[in-house]
Amino acid sequence: MKSLHIEADDDTPKVYLDPDAGIFLLEGKSLPENAFDFYEPILKWVEAFFNSENTTQKTAVNFNLDYFNTASSKQIAKLLKIIENSPASETVTVKWHYDEEDTDMLKAGKRYGKLIKIHFEFIENPEED
Amino acid sequence: MSSKSLNKEKLGFIYKLFKAMQKNNLNYIYRGTFTSKITDNILNLAETNLVHKDDPRALKRKVYNVMVEGLQNITKHQADIEINVEDNFGVFVLKKEHAKYFITTGNIIENEHIESLTKQINQVNRLDKDGLKAFHKEVLLHGKISSKGGAGLGLIDMARKSGNNLSFSFEKVDDNLSYFYLHTEIPSIGGIKSNKKGNNPDTIKYISALHRMLNDENVLIIFNSYFNQESLMNLLSIIEKQMLESVMQKKRIYNTMVEMFQNIIQHGDDYKETPDGKAGLFYISETDSEYYLNTGNYILNSKIEKLSAKLDHVNSMDHEELDDFYEERLLDFDIDTNKEAGLGIIDIRIKTGSKLDFDFLNIDGKYSFYTLRARISKI
Repeated sequence: MKSLHIEADDDTPKVYLDPDAGIFLLEGKSLPENAFDFYEPILKWVEAFFNSENTTQKTAVNFNLDYFNTASSKQIAKLLKIIENSPASETVTVKWHYDEEDTDMLKAGKRYGKLIKIHFEFIENPEED
Repeated sequence: MSSKSLNKEKLGFIYKLFKAMQKNNLNYIYRGTFTSKITDNILNLAETNLVHKDDPRALKRKVYNVMVEGLQNITKHQADIEINVEDNFGVFVLKKEHAKYFITTGNIIENEHIESLTKQINQVNRLDKDGLKAFHKEVLLHGKISSKGGAGLGLIDMARKSGNNLSFSFEKVDDNLSYFYLHTEIPSIGGIKSNKKGNNPDTIKYISALHRMLNDENVLIIFNSYFNQESLMNLLSIIEKQMLESVMQKKRIYNTMVEMFQNIIQHGDDYKETPDGKAGLFYISETDSEYYLNTGNYILNSKIEKLSAKLDHVNSMDHEELDDFYEERLLDFDIDTNKEAGLGIIDIRIKTGSKLDFDFLNIDGKYSFYTLRARISKI
């Protein structure tokens, strides 16, 4: 399947969904005014990929977000739900990255982990200088 | 905890401020410490949101150049005086009226400089275009009047670039210090050609009075313009650079601002149709223990009942109930359009940990002015 790359902008994250490289990543800030439209092609891609046949291998989906607004939080919930409801739900691990002092981001990840039945790992980012 | 009537009174201040700024068309006020990063952000904000897109390029350039000089003037002077940081807060005001821009700066100076500043400004105001050019060259070469970090040059440049006189006033703070207000108006292109010089003397009086009001309420930043994603992004970057708080506190302020702004972008109503977004006011003020984030905007009277009930409902919940409500809404994909996720107010309430203060002030048969205040603890 063709990969999906979206460059980060001031208010949208970098999206890197690349099955050939084995990388699935959302990184940066997500606070678009219209999260519904921004996430639409991403959700379509995720839906198509995780419901295709070659998803039996272990896959890590990485979220490394500094910040997201509530409109994005709903779209992220939808994304995770799509994976949960796909045949790949057993083999996917969500790697939720957060900064040590960002307790709200960790809490947000734990909330998804509680509500969505996929395996979650919480990874503290190494400190920046 | 403050009583409901006190909150109402405080929220009344938002409308008072909004009206005062509307009447005088004040678009943007910043009060605080000026660093080069904050200055850059104010300039960006002016470029994208405050200076009108359709104005001639030459006018925009003028406004930009005068802003640069005015902001640099404050940056230079504030470093000279060692007093309590808050008393040293400068103020920058940009206002637009009928294609004319008004720029005012205010900063603390030592009283001993009043005389020489007065002399310098009067001298600058007496000169015409060529005279200013010659004077600029002379000061540049000989540094004649510049005993204090090149202040003289800044004044000459401001006068040259605005093409207008500089108005000024001093407001005594105590025996040693005064606020120094400097004001100039940039006429539209037609006005520049006609050699007419002069500023409206009321504006500077008005701004110094407003500055006192902002000092009393400890207002840090005011944005009175159109709410759209672009203005939000610019304000966020000012806040990020301005606030010297912990990472977590900054994030909470950031988070709350995003949700408040985007709520207005999505749900606010236009009192007058404009293509630029919803007209409204945003300001941040502080006390020793809390930051207040305040918004004011118009909404249709027909929406009040539902909104008011939602706010009361969210305010009445404890932590656990709020978490449950959030989770329920998060997975409720029936409420999921490009306008609404249904989570903003719940999120603000959870992350600030405080109740939201709100009020609706009836404007006419169709509209009310809706004010909302979120409180973020400094601890």
